[in-house]
Amino acid sequence: MKTKITEMFGIEYPILCGAMMWLCKPAFCAAISNAGGMGNVTAGNYETDAAFRDAIRETRKLTKKPFMVNITMLPSVRITAEHHKMYIRVCAEEKVDGIEFSGMPADRAAGMEYIEMLKKAGVKLFHKVGSVRHAVHAEKVGYDGIYAAGIEEGGHPLNDDVTSMVLTPRIAETVKIPVVTVGGIADGRTLAAALALGAEGVMMASRFVATRECPVHENIKQELVKRQEFETVIYGKSIGLQGRGLKTKVLQEVLAIEERGGAFEELLPLLSGLRVKQAWETGDVDYAPLMVGQSIGLIGDIPTCRELLERMAREAREQAEKTQRACAA
Amino acid sequence: MKTQITELFGIRYPLVLSGMSWISVPKMVAAVSNAGGLGILATGPLNPDEVREAVREIRSLTDRPFGANTSLVLPGARDNARALLEERVPVINFALGKGDWLIREAHAYGGKVISTVVNLHQASRAQDQGADAVIATGYEAAGHGSPVTSLVLIPHLVDRLRIPVIAAGGFSDGRGLAAALSLGASAVAMGTRFMTTRESALHGNYKKASLEKDVYDTLYSPRFDGIPCRVVDNRAARRALKSGLNLPAAFFNSRIIAAQLRLPYWKLFFGVLASGWKNARQLAYFANAYKRILVATEQGDTEEGLLPMGQVTGLVHDEPAVAELVERIVREAREVLEDRRAMVS
Repeated sequence: MKTKITEMFGIEYPILCGAMMWLCKPAFCAAISNAGGMGNVTAGNYETDAAFRDAIRETRKLTKKPFMVNITMLPSVRITAEHHKMYIRVCAEEKVDGIEFSGMPADRAAGMEYIEMLKKAGVKLFHKVGSVRHAVHAEKVGYDGIYAAGIEEGGHPLNDDVTSMVLTPRIAETVKIPVVTVGGIADGRTLAAALALGAEGVMMASRFVATRECPVHENIKQELVKRQEFETVIYGKSIGLQGRGLKTKVLQEVLAIEERGGAFEELLPLLSGLRVKQAWETGDVDYAPLMVGQSIGLIGDIPTCRELLERMAREAREQAEKTQRACAA
Repeated sequence: MKTQITELFGIRYPLVLSGMSWISVPKMVAAVSNAGGLGILATGPLNPDEVREAVREIRSLTDRPFGANTSLVLPGARDNARALLEERVPVINFALGKGDWLIREAHAYGGKVISTVVNLHQASRAQDQGADAVIATGYEAAGHGSPVTSLVLIPHLVDRLRIPVIAAGGFSDGRGLAAALSLGASAVAMGTRFMTTRESALHGNYKKASLEKDVYDTLYSPRFDGIPCRVVDNRAARRALKSGLNLPAAFFNSRIIAAQLRLPYWKLFFGVLASGWKNARQLAYFANAYKRILVATEQGDTEEGLLPMGQVTGLVHDEPAVAELVERIVREAREVLEDRRAMVS
């Protein structure tokens, strides 16, 4: 395939893996990059300069292809503002291919000098946004592209509540830098739709969880195959950080606490990131919030990353031809 | 263009005008049908005589296929549906309620029936009852949308239904049409986009508002009319979010509905009560929303009226004539698909 994103990185398919705590580590990242997309190393998995640098170098040993690094600039108990600066410095020194920033814009959270440091090192910068104004800001600061995240995404969609179908064209008509659609993408049809809306690529996370290479317990993968698009919930509005995750016992409990006006302290233990790590490992879907998006309704199997990407590209091509024939008639 | 929907209805382009109360009136319906799409008349605020009159007016303005919608839960709606059948309206669109008898009778004269749905459960039921197509309404849509967004809802339904899917929610231009067809839909239905066209009867204040509003200027909640519904973000909407159902107001507003439908009030009142508490509560919600939507569409009060509006209002930047809009969407979809061919090959 050929879009501004495939050209920017010299990759085969404009399909990027989104950040996932505990999962996006070297082996899984390399599997996606080797399959022709772009894997992700999620910086939040590493607490020291050395550990993070090792992860980047290990990924490079496993693939010669480019991959993304995610840096999430959100307040967290474990990861501080100092960590954010360290991640950026290591990325610049290691000259990684691209960074997906999410949360606060990096120029504000770390400072403009960090943006310049990355640009000097040739690192491509993307910011994940849920609104037009944030995209405009990122373009002004000098980012190379935008991840436009619709409300259907898993994780933390922005409160603006806008869907991919509307957000992608709205941002694409506003900024000149390439837009990558995030939220609701899981197959060749949704990829083809995103490209029609003006995107130059797509980012997926939930779909990649249900692949053979994803380092998560088999139960979790089977659960994603089984569950449907209406089985996710939005929670966390009461604490000012909304999230979308699979409707499970733990999130129903969270929603019940929020409903009766329960305190932050009551929610905190249920939402702890370490619980998620355990759930991924033990396969207990009801133990922690599993932050997947509505796209799970389009997941029906557990292929290898290569099978998945090849199938998506083939399906997008077939769908594009079919649509074009219908429109020409 | 050629899709299952253009073939089914005998129309030129896979574009449908959603049936919007006070907006999808005969002139608007005829304008869309004449432009090559399918106009759908909204019969919600009409009594059976007015329905017949409206259908005849459409026929005097166009000889192309058109449709009309009806909700089967409101008292009196059955009579409107009967009027549509008697007039042999080519396409009948129903939402809410059991429509098997309607489908049977429409099919008897060669009419087609579309059911508006928000999930697979409703869509499968419509298919089993014999509906010819469904309109699937995503989260971003004006009015009663699904909690699931169009990007996911459409391919999910396309995979599981035998009948064609018309995508609604988030569509306003050629990019959207190309995207919907890529997802496997056979057409798109548009409300918000058609609302701001030269032929549209929507009050000028709201047309102006729809040009100014962006993608995040709408609210989605069950508190406007009892079913999750998307409306423009304004004072009336914010107040409804806080207060919920106002029963005394419903009593008052339902009298306006009775008058409008030319139904004796006692008949409406007991009809509603007889339908059970849950339904009565729902209708009380409808009564209040009815009044507020009327205030919006006809009086043009942008703060005190409730106006269903989709997120796609952020992509509406002008007020073209219907024919001009339709041609532009078709041209743009073809261009987008041509550009994309290079991307996917």
